[in-house]
Amino acid sequence: MQAGPRLRLPPVRLILQVWPLALVVVAGVSIRLSKGAGVADAYAALSRPFWPGTAQGEWVRQAQRLEDQTRLRQLTADNQRLRQLLQLPSQFGSERLAPVISRDPGGWWQQLVIGQGSIQGVTPGDPVVAPGGLLGRVASVTPTTASVALLTDPSSHVGVWVARTQQHGLLTGLGSSRPVLRFLDKDPGVRPGDVVMTSPASTLVPPNISVGVIQSVNGMASPAPEAVVQLSASAGAVDWVRVVMRPGRP
Amino acid sequence: MSSLALRGWTAATGLLVPLLTLASPGFLKLGDVPPAWAVLWLLPWALVDGAVSGVLAGLLLGLVLDGLHLGPISEIPALMVLGWWWGRMGRKGLPIERSFSLGLLALLGTAFVGLTLILQRAVSGQLQGPVIYTWLGQTLLTALLAPMVCSLQLLLWRQLVSGGRR
Repeated sequence: MQAGPRLRLPPVRLILQVWPLALVVVAGVSIRLSKGAGVADAYAALSRPFWPGTAQGEWVRQAQRLEDQTRLRQLTADNQRLRQLLQLPSQFGSERLAPVISRDPGGWWQQLVIGQGSIQGVTPGDPVVAPGGLLGRVASVTPTTASVALLTDPSSHVGVWVARTQQHGLLTGLGSSRPVLRFLDKDPGVRPGDVVMTSPASTLVPPNISVGVIQSVNGMASPAPEAVVQLSASAGAVDWVRVVMRPGRP
Repeated sequence: MSSLALRGWTAATGLLVPLLTLASPGFLKLGDVPPAWAVLWLLPWALVDGAVSGVLAGLLLGLVLDGLHLGPISEIPALMVLGWWWGRMGRKGLPIERSFSLGLLALLGTAFVGLTLILQRAVSGQLQGPVIYTWLGQTLLTALLAPMVCSLQLLLWRQLVSGGRR
């Protein structure tokens, strides 16, 4: 009886000759399966000194800012056009830049003095906006200056709303750095972190300007809940503000 | 009218009070609270120039400062009372020269001004927020500055008055 084919193991010599090649093949397969892991990382490590520097990054950020500004301008124009179509009141228009020439946000009076007055068309009641959001309203004017009552001043009362829940309230200054928001509804459903904006129903300030962020809520306050608001615009740091004037003024 | 008020330029130094109030230099604040510049100017003025001049100076300073500040709250009554008090003290008592005395008078004066502001706020229903903090901060800061600021003014005014009498 003839024996079947014998199972032959590859000779040890052949194995010793081939194993480096096999290892390379295995590595190649691994690279293929891992979508270039190792090679790409090695390339990144080697080419790191030649990566785009901060200048290129700044160019990209600048382009992004420009795009954002263009979009914002376009959206603002759209908003105004739609408000006109809906015949909603739009009594705020032109803005005027004004330097802050005196500030006293921490004393007995929470106020700023800005370097634009009645000659430039600023009138009492005009809202004043800073980088970050609403700062206050013009309380009095001289020919070349205007005093701005900050939102923190006890005489300040501004209609605002929480955009997320669309709950309206009255933002009242306390003389401290954080004004209090008194809601009109007994169950406003707000929570810390909610953004407070000027109310679309307000006739004193333009709608939907950022005011601040709710820091804490007192649901037990009577007759309606209250919230402490951290303002988004810092009166102590701002050097230039924008005075929002009604259309038809210089 | 006494001799200091009759010199135009000495009275004009009172304009520094509204200018410093507006400038509100940050390095001269304590916890964002500025000193009472009106007290720092009025104290040596009234001590040297008498009660009538002190009352008038207090009135004028109060009018100017009230014009710069918002709301109906006024500093005029407190400044007039302080001008009268310090004016009488300068004329009737021993000459006040020690830094401690000046600091103490400034402390009492600033505390009095602050109290009248707090009272007016309470009457007008605006007694909210950190009024005690502002009151204490301003009183302390003004009392600390008074020995430096008021001593120099006192020296200058007394030299002018004694020079005018010779």
